[in-house]
Amino acid sequence: MNLREIGTATKGINPREVVVAVGPAFGKDVTKSIMKVDHALILREILSGIEEQGATARVIRSLRTADLAFMAHEAAKLSGSGIGVGVQSRGTTVIHQRDLDPLSNLELFPQSPLITLETYRAIGRNAAMYALGDTPNPVPVVNDQMARPKYQAIAAVLYIKECESRIANAKSVELEVAFSYE
Amino acid sequence: MQTVKRSKRYEILDKRPVNQDGFVVEWPEQGFIAMSSPADPKPSIKVENGRIVELDGKPREAFDMLDQFLADYTIDTTVAEQVMAMDSVEIARKLVDVNVPRQQVLDITKGMTPAKVVEVLNHMNVVELMMAMQKMRARKTPSNQCHVTNVRDNPVLMAADAVHAGLLGFDEQETTVGVVRYAPFNALALLVGSQTARGGILTQDALEEATELRLAMLGLTSYAETISIYGTESVFMDGDDTPWSKSFLASAYASRGAKMRFTSGSGSEVQMAGAEGKSMLYLEVRCVMMAKGAGVQGLQNGSISCIGVPAAVPSGLRAVAAENLATMMFDLEVASGNDQTFSHSPFRNTAKMLCQMLPGTDFIFSGYSAMPNGDDMFAGSTFDSSDLDDYLIIQRDLMVDGGLRPVDEETVIKGRYQAAKALQAVFEELDFPPITDEEVEAATYGNGSEDMPQRNVVEDLKAAERILRDEITGLDIAIILAKRGFRETAERIFNLLKQRVAGDYLHTSAIINKDNQVISAVNDVNDYRGPGSGYRLSKERWEEIKNIRQALKPTDFS
Repeated sequence: MNLREIGTATKGINPREVVVAVGPAFGKDVTKSIMKVDHALILREILSGIEEQGATARVIRSLRTADLAFMAHEAAKLSGSGIGVGVQSRGTTVIHQRDLDPLSNLELFPQSPLITLETYRAIGRNAAMYALGDTPNPVPVVNDQMARPKYQAIAAVLYIKECESRIANAKSVELEVAFSYE
Repeated sequence: MQTVKRSKRYEILDKRPVNQDGFVVEWPEQGFIAMSSPADPKPSIKVENGRIVELDGKPREAFDMLDQFLADYTIDTTVAEQVMAMDSVEIARKLVDVNVPRQQVLDITKGMTPAKVVEVLNHMNVVELMMAMQKMRARKTPSNQCHVTNVRDNPVLMAADAVHAGLLGFDEQETTVGVVRYAPFNALALLVGSQTARGGILTQDALEEATELRLAMLGLTSYAETISIYGTESVFMDGDDTPWSKSFLASAYASRGAKMRFTSGSGSEVQMAGAEGKSMLYLEVRCVMMAKGAGVQGLQNGSISCIGVPAAVPSGLRAVAAENLATMMFDLEVASGNDQTFSHSPFRNTAKMLCQMLPGTDFIFSGYSAMPNGDDMFAGSTFDSSDLDDYLIIQRDLMVDGGLRPVDEETVIKGRYQAAKALQAVFEELDFPPITDEEVEAATYGNGSEDMPQRNVVEDLKAAERILRDEITGLDIAIILAKRGFRETAERIFNLLKQRVAGDYLHTSAIINKDNQVISAVNDVNDYRGPGSGYRLSKERWEEIKNIRQALKPTDFS
C-alpha cells in the first residue's frame, strides 16, 4: 500500500462521500494492527465496503491528534455527506457524523483485537448507507471481557507509538491511496 | 543451559489462566511504573502572602494547569508549610494508628502536596493500606455498585436485570450502551427496573457527557460518574478539557440536584501516551486532589478502564489500593474500582478485590457485573452474575459486609416479571414498539441477551430518540406507572425526584435507603477507632448475610 500525501485536507461537496481519517502513524511508522493485520488490508476492506454501496471514499491522515473521536469527527466535518470514519493504527474504529458531539457517535468499535476484516467491510458499508440517507442496522459489536487483560498493555504501547507521530497544530492531509497487489 | 525437552510442570504452569494475562517490565520513561518513578517530583512547598509560589520543586512560573489548580483550590496554605515539615513515616503511621481519629488525619492532608501524599503512601504495605482504608472511608456503612447492560441494549432484559440487582442489595446501578442512540431507552429501563426492587436505588447512564447530563436533567437518571479527569495537562487537552471545564460540568449537575463524582484512575495517562515519565500513583494523586479542589463530593477510581496497565507492572495492584486510600484521605466518596477485567485468573481477581472488600469502601465495586460478563458493555467486570454465590459466601465466611445479600430464586423470578411488565406498560402508553409477552417471559427466566427474542432495532432507535426530542421525564414515567396500576414503583420514582429538589443526597458519599432516607458522610460519618468501633455488622445484617440458600438446616435431616 502506498499512501501519498497530496496537501491539506479540504471540505468536500459531494453528498455521496465518506471521509476516512487514519491515525498519524497508520501505514507509516506503524503498519500492522494490534492483531498484526496489515493496515493495507484493513483500509482496503473499509474502502471496498463504502464503494460497494455506491458511495465514494476519501482518505485523510490526522496529524494533530491521535484521539479516535476527534479524528473521526474532523473527517465527518470535512465530508460532503457529513459522515466520517476514524481508524487508529491499533485498529480501533468509529463511524461519526458531523452534527453529533465529538464523544458521541453513530457506531463505535472500541475493542480493536476483536475487529475482523469482515467487520471492517461492514463498517464501510454502514458508513456509506448513512451517507446515502439510509438507517442501517448497526454492525454487531463483539464483546470479550478478556480482551483487556490480554491486550491492554500492548494497546497502550501502540498508542504511545501513534502519538509519537503526531505533529502539533498540523492540519490533516489528504492521502492518495494505491494498493499494490502481488 | 539450553534444553530441548520441556519440564512437564512448566508446561502445566504455562497453560494456567494467569499466563494469558499481559505483563510488562517497568518502563519509567513512558510511565509504565506503579508507585515511584525516578521522574516523580520531590515534595516541597513555599507560601508567600497566602499564595503558593513553589510546589513540589517547581516555581510558580513553571506550573502547568494542574499545578496551578491544586495550588489555588486544593492545598490549604494556612497549614501547608507546617504539614510539609512533618516526617512522611510519621504521617503514614497516623493513617494506620487506631488511636489517631480520622479527623486528625484529614486536617493533615489539607496541607499536603501530591508528591508528599505519594511519599507517605510509599511507606505503607498493602495490609497497612487496608487498615487505613477502614478508618479513612468517609461513610461508615460500606456499599456496592453494579453494572446493568447487555450486548443488544435490550430494554426488557435490562429492566429485569436491574430489579435482580436491586434485590441483591446494590445501592447504585450503572448502565451504558452498545449503540449510543439507545441511551435514553437504557436509562428508562434501569429506572423502572431498579425502582421495582426498592425505592432509593440511584441509577446512571454512562455516556458522552452532554447526553448524560441531559438524561439526568430529565430525571431519568439520578447520578453520574463518567466525568473523566487526568493527571497531566497534555492528556486533559487531548480530551478537549481543563480542570475548570470539568468543575463547570460538576456544578451543572449540582444545580439540578443530581449526585455526581469524577472518574480517574492510574494508567490512563500511560494509555493515552501522556504520562510524562511520572509514576501512575503520582499522576492519580493529582487527579484526586483536583477532584477535591473542584468541590465534587467523590471520585470513582481504582484504575477503572485502564486496570490492565497497572496490573501489568510490579506493585501495580498495591498502587490501586493506594489511590483508593488517597481519595479517602481527602474526605471524598470512593467508588473503588474492581469493575473492569484485568486478569484471566480467578485467584488474582479475588486477591485484588479483597483489598477493597475487607476494609470496606463507599462502593466496593464501581460496577459488579450484575449479568453475565458477555453482556457487560463496560467490557466485563472482575466478578459477574455467575460469581454471585462465591461473593455471598466470602461475606459469610469472613463476616464481612460486601454490600450484598442472598436472595432466593422465587423472589428473583417474581421481581424480574414485575419489572418487565411495568416496562411493557410504559412502552404501550408511550406508543413505543411493543414489548411482547414472549419477551417478558424470556427476560423473567433468561440469563443473558442470547435468551431474548430479537427486537426491531431501527424502530427501537427511533423511539429512543423520541425520549430526548419530546423531553419525556421521570415524572411522566411515574404518572404512566401509577395510571397502569404499578403504584409502588410510581411512588418510588416520584420520591427519588423529590430527593432531587431536597438536594440532601448531594452530601459526600450519599446513598438512599429503602425508606427514602439519605445515608451519607454527614449523618453516618466513619468513626473507626479500632476493635469495637466504626462499622460493625448489625444483628439483622448478619442474619441476612448468614442465611445463604445453600446452607443445610438440622431439619433437613429429619
